[in-house]
Amino acid sequence: MTLFLEQLVNGVSLGSLYALFGIGFGLVFATLGVLNVAHGAYASWAAILGYFSVEYFGVPFPVAVAIGVLGGGLIAIAVDQIGFQPLRGRKTGMLGALITSIAFLIILDSLAGMATNHQSWAFPSSSFPSGMVDLGLIRVPQMQIIIIASTLICGGGIYLLIQKTQIGAAMRAVGWNPEAAALSGVNPQIVILLTAFLAGATSGLAGVLGGAATSNISYMLGEGLLLKGFAAVVVGGFDDVRGTVIAGIILGICEVFVAQYLSTTYRDGFTYVLLLTFLVARPRGLFGSRDFMRA
Amino acid sequence: MNMLETSKRALLSAGYMALALGFAAPAYADPDAGEYRIGMVSDDSGPIAAAGQSYHQGADIAVAEINSKGLAGEGVTLVLDVKDSGSDAARAVQAMTQFGSDRNILAATCCILSAIAAAVSPIAMSNELPLVIYGATRASLPQEPYVTSVVALPGPQEVAMSERLATELKPQKVAYYLAGDNDIFMARAMAMKEVIEKSGAATVAEITTLTADTDFTGPATQGIATGPDLIVVMTTQQPTIGIITALRQRGYEGMIVTSEVLSPPAVFKKSGETITGIPFALSFQPGVSDSDAAVAFIDAYKAQYNALPDVYAAQGYMAIQFIAQGLKSLDGKPTRQDLAKAMWGTAEIAINPYGGQPMENGQARTPNTLIVNWTKDGEVKLWEKP
Repeated sequence: MTLFLEQLVNGVSLGSLYALFGIGFGLVFATLGVLNVAHGAYASWAAILGYFSVEYFGVPFPVAVAIGVLGGGLIAIAVDQIGFQPLRGRKTGMLGALITSIAFLIILDSLAGMATNHQSWAFPSSSFPSGMVDLGLIRVPQMQIIIIASTLICGGGIYLLIQKTQIGAAMRAVGWNPEAAALSGVNPQIVILLTAFLAGATSGLAGVLGGAATSNISYMLGEGLLLKGFAAVVVGGFDDVRGTVIAGIILGICEVFVAQYLSTTYRDGFTYVLLLTFLVARPRGLFGSRDFMRA
Repeated sequence: MNMLETSKRALLSAGYMALALGFAAPAYADPDAGEYRIGMVSDDSGPIAAAGQSYHQGADIAVAEINSKGLAGEGVTLVLDVKDSGSDAARAVQAMTQFGSDRNILAATCCILSAIAAAVSPIAMSNELPLVIYGATRASLPQEPYVTSVVALPGPQEVAMSERLATELKPQKVAYYLAGDNDIFMARAMAMKEVIEKSGAATVAEITTLTADTDFTGPATQGIATGPDLIVVMTTQQPTIGIITALRQRGYEGMIVTSEVLSPPAVFKKSGETITGIPFALSFQPGVSDSDAAVAFIDAYKAQYNALPDVYAAQGYMAIQFIAQGLKSLDGKPTRQDLAKAMWGTAEIAINPYGGQPMENGQARTPNTLIVNWTKDGEVKLWEKP
């Protein structure tokens, strides 16, 4: 029973990272219509910035997280304005944006590789909460609790932002029809910048927390999150944060249990079978709206 | 003594001298002075760049030493022509094809991953380009006469370490972390398992991970739940560090044993006390290796990079020394064919940091085995039972 519960928490924690990463991925797709594969690089860069700030400036871990989150958001804005904004004017559609995002993924990954000298680093264990919390029947690493809490707070916060605020209404309006939104008084440029920042920031948060929890900060960090985050978005529904969070956590639990009770060999296979199943049988995902056309 | 006897003696002496010089000529042969280019397919970027850069830096140290001391012949200088493969097979094949076509390249050295070594070997063979494998460990990679390997086949060192651990620690329950997508590490783990099981220890878990994995909380929980008193981690570098970190963070205080992937100083810088006291076996380690060649190599490396070399740097160093040794034995304008034959016939790499590196049919044999561990002070010392 203890093993089962500990693995369950491991799965929820792993899935929370996928969800956290996937929230921004889905947000950009739903609002800006961009399938942005460079999203993985934001996580890598955020983790690298967080690590450098601890290693070279000795800042406390929460500050390092904030730097990573801010860095991820600003990089996302830069990519959007340099790469995607010119395409919007030309109406190149999703394919043009996808190709551009692949180019940015390669560029950002290469730069991250140079910044880290292609090595893998880790936050010093004394610099972040690396202890265990005794919950009676099981003991849980502090970082797992932080990751799960961060995902729930971010997921809940962004859901409320989108569904319950004027800004969220503007984001949904721009996602639906930018021209119509502009005619009704929404400034699409502000919405685009805000969406890009939120996406980069959540990806960055996943990167910094994941990098600390797994003791692995490298330019390839985001690659591992990219496909799993994409799967979480597809399974959960592109335009619903709740779906992404739930699907991400389900994915994490499934991965850990498949590895524990079946074999590691089938672990990733399971994820992709689930992804394909949803793409074929329910392309709008668990919570996606029926009339969401971009999927 | 009359004039005739004197003349006879002088003639005989001259004859003996000429004969002696004639026989001795190959030993003192030198290739024509000039610049010779060596192609290197490196892994300076990509998932195993940490090791790849060490190999490359070790090779650079060898080139500098060979050129400054004339180790490849009087007036002979080597130039390393490096192409980074990023551990990508297609890029490595492309690089080797270019080296093969470029007649200025006299020999090449390549590859950490066995699959890539196997992919580029036919290119070297078809271009009659001597290729020295510096990192890949799969058996049967050498092919007469063009493909040779300075990498001792894995197994004997792990076996020696396992025998010692089984004798001294007498483990009862052992868990194994395996690399499911790396047949070499899998074979090394199985060799250890055989030895440990023979000592009477039970295998309580075989947990497979993959090279690209980064989250090891699940596998760590799984392993600890079986209550092992010894854990064998035999995976590639990043998973090994991740598994050990996850095990320690989750409170596992028992003995862990692993491979030389823990040896680079960068690993200690990254992991610190987490990896102290964990034994691993290898053939070269600063602070432990004390042969003249080892000390000279360590000093040169430190002077150049302000860091200590690891076993991968030693391998890169030795690959170039091996080529230089083959080149030195040739006369006149060396050809790829002549160099390949000379290298294939080499029985011992003369300049090596291992305290001896025998070669047999183009394949390095296992040199000495050092069982070492990191200390809390960041030094590597011979491992002693805690």
